[in-house]
Amino acid sequence: MINRRFFLKSSGIALASVGAASFAPSFLQRAALAQSANNITGGMATGRRKTLIAIFQRGAVDGLNVVVPYGEKNYYAYRPTLAIPQPGKAGAGDAVIDLDGFFGLHPALSPFKSIWDAKRLAIVHAAGSPDNTRSHFDAQDYMESGTPGVKSTDDGWLNRYLQAQPDPKASPFRAVAMTQNLPRVMQGRSPALAISNLNDFAVRAGQATQVVQGGFESIYDQAAGDALRGTGKETFEAINFLKKVNPSQYKPENDARYPATAYGNALLQIAQLIKAGVGLEVAFTDVGGWDTHVNEGAARGQLAARLTEFGQGIAALYADLGQRMDDVVILTMSEFGRTARENGNRGTDHGHANAMFLLGGGVRGGKVYGDWPGLDSDKLNEGRDLALTTDFRDVFGEVSTRHLGNADLSKVFPGYAASAAKFRGVLG
Amino acid sequence: MNVRFDSTLGAARASVASLVALSLVLGLAPFASAQVRGSASSSSSKARKMTEDQRASHVLNRLAFGARPGDAERVRKLGVEKYIEQQLHPELIDDAAAEARLTSLEVLKMSNGELLAKYPQPNFLLKQMQREGKLPSDLKDLRDNRKTPADAAAANTTNKQLDANASMSASGAQPNAQAATNPSANAQGQTPNPLYPNAQTPVAVDPNRAEYRQAVAEFYREHGLQQPQKVTAELQASRIMRAVYSERQLQEVMVDFWTNHFNVYAPKGADRWFLVSYDRDVIRPHAFGNFKDLLVATAESPAMLFYLDNFQSVSPTANQNQRRAAAARFNQNPMLNNALGVRRDRMPQQPGQMPVPQRQKRGINENYARELMELHTLGVDGGYTQKDVQEVARCFTGWTIIDPRGAANYAGFVDEARTGTFYFNPRLHDDGEKLVLGHKIPAGGGINDGMMVLDILAHHPSTAKFIATKLSRKFVSDNPTPELVGRVAAAYMKSNGDIRETLRAIFTSPEFNSPENYRAKIKTPFELAVSAVRALGGDTNGAPPIHQWIGRMGEPLYQYQAPTGYPDTAEHWVNTGALLERINFALALVSNRIPGTHVDLSRFGADTSKGTTADKSRVIDEFAAVIMQGDISPKTKASLLKQLDEVATNPQESASASMPASNMSATGAAKMNAATDTQANAMDAPAGGRRGLRGQLAANNNNNAPASEIARIAALLLGSPEFQRQ
Repeated sequence: MINRRFFLKSSGIALASVGAASFAPSFLQRAALAQSANNITGGMATGRRKTLIAIFQRGAVDGLNVVVPYGEKNYYAYRPTLAIPQPGKAGAGDAVIDLDGFFGLHPALSPFKSIWDAKRLAIVHAAGSPDNTRSHFDAQDYMESGTPGVKSTDDGWLNRYLQAQPDPKASPFRAVAMTQNLPRVMQGRSPALAISNLNDFAVRAGQATQVVQGGFESIYDQAAGDALRGTGKETFEAINFLKKVNPSQYKPENDARYPATAYGNALLQIAQLIKAGVGLEVAFTDVGGWDTHVNEGAARGQLAARLTEFGQGIAALYADLGQRMDDVVILTMSEFGRTARENGNRGTDHGHANAMFLLGGGVRGGKVYGDWPGLDSDKLNEGRDLALTTDFRDVFGEVSTRHLGNADLSKVFPGYAASAAKFRGVLG
Repeated sequence: MNVRFDSTLGAARASVASLVALSLVLGLAPFASAQVRGSASSSSSKARKMTEDQRASHVLNRLAFGARPGDAERVRKLGVEKYIEQQLHPELIDDAAAEARLTSLEVLKMSNGELLAKYPQPNFLLKQMQREGKLPSDLKDLRDNRKTPADAAAANTTNKQLDANASMSASGAQPNAQAATNPSANAQGQTPNPLYPNAQTPVAVDPNRAEYRQAVAEFYREHGLQQPQKVTAELQASRIMRAVYSERQLQEVMVDFWTNHFNVYAPKGADRWFLVSYDRDVIRPHAFGNFKDLLVATAESPAMLFYLDNFQSVSPTANQNQRRAAAARFNQNPMLNNALGVRRDRMPQQPGQMPVPQRQKRGINENYARELMELHTLGVDGGYTQKDVQEVARCFTGWTIIDPRGAANYAGFVDEARTGTFYFNPRLHDDGEKLVLGHKIPAGGGINDGMMVLDILAHHPSTAKFIATKLSRKFVSDNPTPELVGRVAAAYMKSNGDIRETLRAIFTSPEFNSPENYRAKIKTPFELAVSAVRALGGDTNGAPPIHQWIGRMGEPLYQYQAPTGYPDTAEHWVNTGALLERINFALALVSNRIPGTHVDLSRFGADTSKGTTADKSRVIDEFAAVIMQGDISPKTKASLLKQLDEVATNPQESASASMPASNMSATGAAKMNAATDTQANAMDAPAGGRRGLRGQLAANNNNNAPASEIARIAALLLGSPEFQRQ
């Protein structure tokens, strides 16, 4: 770790002098691209690249039924129909999977157990945004902008990480969202791609493709001063780059089985990009359906179905990447948790703190991090939700610093006194 | 994506400079030079005007979905002011021709009850039949043997957007709705896992499933039933066709705006059936009326009641015994109740649940109350508190839907006309006193509680400001000035929330008519697709393939999950992936590779491959005049000319590509007929079209060259930065 950080620091200095390269003539950038392209074709290696895969569970997942505090009496008192039985109190598949004698996993997350046992899966509980909003939209916005309570922030924290670590050699695939549109968290000055399907990422004009693409490239290149010019340039660079990768030939390894859903497919394609060595550093995707106001279900039911897909996707990605997980961290997040008590519709309403997962070689796994505030009535946030003890910026900050090697947290989380002292120690 | 509308305000200042720069790129010679001077002083730039040609083009871009060939001249001749006035009164514009094109879309005239009955969800229908003992045994066996609905998606899931529908409905809100009418699920507190039958075992492809599906399809045919996907597909088709053809263009623009403002997500439960009425009975009739009427209509709409869960919101203090007694009475003889003409507001609680012996416990739900204030009226900083949310939620308890899934109708308890309609149930209402935004709402108000809330909200200055901001952003620029918003909000307040007057304040504002804002908005994918068809004078029957393109570009209609609706600013639409789809859409459109949609480029002149440079230049000028009212930069034009030269000097490309060219113009008319004929087929295809589009793309993989140089030039223009703007 020290070596790596030292390396990044010194190379950061070296690169700073070329930092103006992003404004340099495009041939300079092309040279950089060609160099990155060498990696694909087995050319010179630039060392192992760290990758962060962020997964957003949109809709506010019920963290108390995901990482269950089964050692809490209140948990069972608050949730007469939604509580999941303690380990051993029901058949396998219907009871909590024990983690540490107090917390346990929802049974639908059984694929996580072996990763936990291998100490490559960690959990931070009672984490989230310090802002008290119960609006999905505000809370997602804050979690993506990384500035809770401040709406006017015009870029996302992942993009600000990219800005804080400028990389003139970056490939167009340095930051990729496997989503239809570029998510808030990746929006900003640093280039980032939104791709919904790698195979379709090409100009489709049959035999005339080359000529037509050339025409578009030239038109966009002429559009000096138009914001669309930059977007066009990124687009054509990425197309040309991806041609070399040939994504349609992909076969997952290690019997990895991704769910046959948009989410599973997004994770599969992230694995493709990582293995293809296209220079992916920050990947993002999202998965919805967590807003379980009604009939949430306990060990089985609605939430269980969503968790099955969620867990199998991550487990497949973990298996597929195999040894490469040494350089990868998978990080999950959701805008807020849900009420500690179930509501009148056998569901839960918008709450506050939540659980986050971190997986990977650098993760000090097999542990639930964070201070557990408990579920006593007087300990609940506004008398109804799990209270917050870890600001999500401390988790994001730790990942960006200790995993990706970011040196300046203040740029990533402006207005926040981020410091290593607040890190939970999830990463080595 | 959940960028808040107001979250971008902070970027406003930074973007002003780039907006000015963007305008420059458009390369309008007279305008560009004016802009250079103007950029020095924003106050003086406001004083300058667009040219009359630009104004005609501007109103066609903003009040309409772009110009069709000849539109710009017509507007110039009529006068821009008169055009605006005309468009502000859609009721005076004859639109029979456009409406005539919609006659084949049968869902448009059907009620919620009729739609639920004729387009039932197969699983739901079979469950009802089983309950009634009407399920044929062969169908039952097949049903019991099949595996899961997720299998369908297993075969080919590569496009996220197309699959979103499947995965959402399989996992998101659907189970709620199913469970709500599924007694066994409720009794156990469990719903069958919709994704996998067994949480531990991934699905395998099930041969029984195909057989089962076939049997269901056969059953549907025999009984004159249709798949529910067709409802959404036809509604989407109607929106596309009206946007392309309607003479009431501003009305269509406003329908688009309000539909997005009061967003409802079709895949959520019963909403796919309810959205037809939502468009027809809620949005359209009120698009130019009073905002409060529109607000009340949305509040009472089954679509919104279902989407934001209010139909399930029940006062926790409602008298349990009273509830039970009512249910018992209804269960004993529901038909008697109907026959006695039980008033809508006296119906026993939750008739949709009546055939269900064990009602689930219900409680208050804040979802609608919150979004009503945050997204429909006051805006997130509009000055309401969590306490207000709770109080408003109390006011709307008992606002519900009769038989939301059609189960009671199927069982014969509720007649079709009332199935899926709004009703207020006083027994489920919290009748205590409430305090909303400082207004006391007296106890015992019943349905008037909610009405009072809507009245308070519609007349609140924060609502005026919020609506003014969104309308100004829609019609003027991504970052409307506070001065403009202030004037528009004042017009709203002065007119008591009259939408027409509010719009007039925008259209007559110096900001709307400022050169700075000419082509300053990035078209949304829907606007891009429709304006491209219009620009080429093309035809479409709105069949799923064109909608799938709109989805690929990022804006599938009625499929934005969050109540915010799609953001209305450039940064949401301009990104690498979406831009590529826009380019590919342009290529597909000009090559007539979008079934159901057809363009005939022969009007734009002959094959240019052998022409002189002067000929080519003339062709490009003609094109630019028609497609973009001449708004292309000399540099873009030079690129286009170079394109033609490159093709000419590459005989192989030229030969293979220009072969079908003469073919195309000669058979243009025939193809259009074919396109019309394919409507039925395209509509009958699985509406998600998952396989359809994938297959189509695969099939065209090696044979999708734009058919001629003309087509290529058209594609380059439609895919150019200039055409992405309006």
